[in-house]
Amino acid sequence: MTADSLLLVLVFFPLAGSLLALGAGYQPRLCRWVSLILSLMQMALISLLFFLDLQPHSGPTGTWLLAVDYPWLEGIGARFSLGLDGLSLLLLWLTAFLTVISVLISWTAINLKVGLFHFFLLFLEGCLMGLFMATDLLLFYLFWEIQLIPMFFLLGIWGHARRIYAAVKFVLFTFGGSLFMLIALLVLYVLHGHQTGEYTFSLYQLSQTPLSPTVEGWLYAAFLLAFAVKIPLVPLHTWLPDAHTEAPTAGSVDLAGLLLKTGFYAFFRFAFPLFPGAAQASIPLLLALGLVGMFYAAWIALAQTDIKRLVAYSSIGHMGLMVLALGIWNLMALSGSLLQLFNHGISTSALFVMVGMLDERLGSRNFQDMGGLWQQMPVFSAFFLFFALSSMGLPGLNNFVGEILILLGAFQIRPLIAVLAFVGVLLTVIYILRMVQDSLFGESRRVQPLRDVTPREVLILAVMALPVLYIGLHPGPVLRLFESSLQVMWGQFPMLARSLGG
Amino acid sequence: MTLNIPSFNLASIGPWITLSIFAIAILLADALSPKGNRTAAPLLALAGLAVAGFQTISLWGKNGLDFARMVYVDNFSLFFYMVFILGTALTVLISLQYLKDYGKNLAEYYALLLFATVGMMLMAAGAHLIMIFLGLEVMSIAVYVLAGLFREDARSNEAALKYLVLGAFASAFLLFGMAMLYGAAGGTLFLNDLPGRLTAGFKPLTLLAIALLVVGFGFKVASVPFHMWTPDVYEGAPTSVTAFMAVGVKTAAFAAFARVFFLAFPTLMPDWTMVLWVLAVATMTLGNVVAIAQTNIKRMLAYSSIAHAGYLLVALVAANQLGAVSLMYYLLAYTLMNLGAFGVVILVGRKKDSYLSIYDYAGLGAQHPALAAAMALFMFALAGIPPTAGFVGKFYIFSAAVKAGYIWLAIIGVMNSVVSVYYYLRITVLMYMKPAEADLGPINFAPAVTATLLLTAAGVVLIGVFPGFLYNLALNSVKIFPGL
Amino acid sequence: MQIIFFILAGVALVTGGLVVFQRHPLRSALWLIVNFFAVAGIYLLAHAEFIAAIQVIVYAGAIMVLFLFVIMLLNLREPEAEAKFMHLGQKVGGIILAVFTVLLLIYGVMQVVLPPGKAAPPGLGNTESIARLLFTDYLLPFEVTSVLLLVAIVGAVVLAKSKLK
Repeated sequence: MTADSLLLVLVFFPLAGSLLALGAGYQPRLCRWVSLILSLMQMALISLLFFLDLQPHSGPTGTWLLAVDYPWLEGIGARFSLGLDGLSLLLLWLTAFLTVISVLISWTAINLKVGLFHFFLLFLEGCLMGLFMATDLLLFYLFWEIQLIPMFFLLGIWGHARRIYAAVKFVLFTFGGSLFMLIALLVLYVLHGHQTGEYTFSLYQLSQTPLSPTVEGWLYAAFLLAFAVKIPLVPLHTWLPDAHTEAPTAGSVDLAGLLLKTGFYAFFRFAFPLFPGAAQASIPLLLALGLVGMFYAAWIALAQTDIKRLVAYSSIGHMGLMVLALGIWNLMALSGSLLQLFNHGISTSALFVMVGMLDERLGSRNFQDMGGLWQQMPVFSAFFLFFALSSMGLPGLNNFVGEILILLGAFQIRPLIAVLAFVGVLLTVIYILRMVQDSLFGESRRVQPLRDVTPREVLILAVMALPVLYIGLHPGPVLRLFESSLQVMWGQFPMLARSLGG
Repeated sequence: MTLNIPSFNLASIGPWITLSIFAIAILLADALSPKGNRTAAPLLALAGLAVAGFQTISLWGKNGLDFARMVYVDNFSLFFYMVFILGTALTVLISLQYLKDYGKNLAEYYALLLFATVGMMLMAAGAHLIMIFLGLEVMSIAVYVLAGLFREDARSNEAALKYLVLGAFASAFLLFGMAMLYGAAGGTLFLNDLPGRLTAGFKPLTLLAIALLVVGFGFKVASVPFHMWTPDVYEGAPTSVTAFMAVGVKTAAFAAFARVFFLAFPTLMPDWTMVLWVLAVATMTLGNVVAIAQTNIKRMLAYSSIAHAGYLLVALVAANQLGAVSLMYYLLAYTLMNLGAFGVVILVGRKKDSYLSIYDYAGLGAQHPALAAAMALFMFALAGIPPTAGFVGKFYIFSAAVKAGYIWLAIIGVMNSVVSVYYYLRITVLMYMKPAEADLGPINFAPAVTATLLLTAAGVVLIGVFPGFLYNLALNSVKIFPGL
Repeated sequence: MQIIFFILAGVALVTGGLVVFQRHPLRSALWLIVNFFAVAGIYLLAHAEFIAAIQVIVYAGAIMVLFLFVIMLLNLREPEAEAKFMHLGQKVGGIILAVFTVLLLIYGVMQVVLPPGKAAPPGLGNTESIARLLFTDYLLPFEVTSVLLLVAIVGAVVLAKSKLK
């Protein structure tokens, strides 16, 4: 048994664990402990990979730190192949980390169908593990679609009042988008098969398919559509605020921290290497979409009265900046963007967690019912301020590193865009500050005192604060991980490097 | 004066003989046994199906013709034999308690099921159009009667009559088409001989024949615009018979459809694929769009079955090896997921089908979690969401279409899948996310139905995750079509 | 010969129409008998003696008697009122579609270039040659027909048995 087969464990351990959690569901307490232990074990397993000193090596599916490749759908040419590089490793860790957090924050909040809830949480974790490692496009598509099911139920069963509307909207948007990807995938598969006689879904092999610019453009557009829904890019974002508003806290955490990442990840991992020419041609579009996302999100966020919706729109804004970095496409901006992917996962999830705690206490998420929280719940407020500052990019905290890298990278090639992006980042500062202002400070409008955070909640928040500080103060190791991944990627997809420049 | 009876091997039609004998045995056992004791019939039916299944497996790998070239013994037909046997066996399992509740647990019911299965096998294995026609009639007459089993129920009567009248009409079209073909081919109806005999001078006549055959088969598979009977018949017929119709009749009709068109008309492919293209699009779209508006679960499944006929037509249009493979795979997958769904409908419907509205499923997730989970699985499978068999089947079909160059057809199919997600998902939403309007009360989990649900659910997931085995079987079977 | 064919065909068409357009089912049935006879004549012209005989014995004889029995047992004195549910649009649409279909069929058949006709081989269509075929080449379909009949009988019993146990 080599280290490579660890990848299989990473996918199937949570999937098997989800059944265990379901089985333990008859006793909620037991089920919570089982899920917590399982998710901690998964996280420990992934953390172990950081210390293995893995070196990239090439195999039949490309160059990866670790890779497995088994036959799956014989006759069709789809294989069960997974590959791990620095980017996926970090996203895997984020997935495991946020799953632990999700279990912890649901400890008292979820009392209905506990077994089923944890089943879906762990099942989702397993799907995402597969998604972040799949190097076979059909396998990737499979995980991409399956992850809808647990999320649909998490939203629809444990959500708030308009949960069904939100859940159905979520599924129809993402399912609709991704089916176009399926068609594009099939067309690519057939074209490749016709040309080489070998029918395969391997990313590595498909990326070498020569395509005419028109075909490439259409296929790229289909992929773009699928991923833009998930990221989400304005104007395909409308499902996101609804989904976030109605989701239980754990659902919001998974949604913002993980599902949005899948769109960006897939864009980066699949759409660019497969269609480098079209990707290059789409750079102005990506820049525009990124900027529009940032400004639009800021504008709408300023008008929100619901704190959870505001955080949801801030998500859209952050994703906009990352997409903009894709359009810049140099090492600095890309590393920043990938780092932001991770940062956003932590900071925004933390904000959602805290909004959830607030909701539990106040029974409202409206700014009108807040104000003056600092006097009543100082510990909570300190954490809230900390994560809000992290989200708006205060130097010394995680988001600053990513944002500054993107902006610096942009200044090197497109100063005008960089200036605009900078304005966008400033707008983020404005609405986040307004959120802090309206909730923590000012006159308290409540008579009853609010309970401050419990030890369990302090534990959650402290654990989430650690990566924020670590990356803010010492981003070197993580960045090196990305840079090595990017170098490998450019080496692996020469067409990509040629089209976009490295 | 002597008759030279051509040599034949009874083993090549072993499954038919077995099923016919068991059907007759069921009738005799019923006549001879004391009144009120009817446990033997379903057991005999299952035993017959098991023996037939065993015979089918032992025939596997044979490739040839028998009975003066009247019947194919090849993997294509044997694959479908297995699908029919599976579908009928599961139908027997879901029927027992349902019929008892109605006081209609008749031995004749099981005998007719077996006879209908024989008819389906004839259709899948017929090497001469007259065999296919006879198979179609054996199957249809049995199913007409089954649809009218509840004689006291006006809806069941309506279903039977509607199906009979329109079905006879469709049979006439089919027969007329065969007659045209007989003329065009200069006096033969052997599928093997047809491609060589259909000369260019007779092309107009052949096209007419093809058009008439499309009408006849299109009726049986419930494709638009020959689908008008489907919702009423599906709604009025006893639920177990509806399941049998949706699964068995459709599969058999598609088996014959594919065999005739792939084998006899490969040279006319551009002509008939064009027609089927239009039919496929119309069928998918109408089925899915109208299904959204349904509130009766049986009607919804009827329109869903129309939509699925549309997807299957896409596989025919593709007319390549993958298309044929996907057709076979999808029909098996469809058998499993649809029978599972109807099993749930029977359980939830309870005594005399009192709960057939989709709103009766509200709150099922809380009160009967396992049943709701099974239904959710079948709905996801029908919608084509991975990792179920429905996804793999749709994937194969759309790949085949793309491979054959029908990208727009694939896109339309995919958009239809999105539409279908809406109404399949609605059942899931009702079950898990809406409170029950009233207490659902106890559900009688008859062991046979529960077993069916377990089997189909496991099957839907298993062949969805590991389709390789079936894919190879199907690929092995479609080698008989040289034109693909 | 041709004249006989056209006369028979004309009779068949006219009586076919009369069957459909009669108000009273009894008259329809009677016209149907005439129709069957005309068709039987056409079969004779085509050297299908066996089919012609079967047509007269089974259809014009047995089946029509059964029809008449049923109609009389149902005791329909008054002709049925004309169906009200048909809209004018449906009628017109139906007629147009039917005419169109017939034209299409005629067009298709007209396109066919028939090879010069051959004389029928001696004995084609008589009882002996059909029997020979039924027991040699068409043995299996012939036997399957028995299953078909059995199914029909069982079905009739299920639907008609006065009291189900």
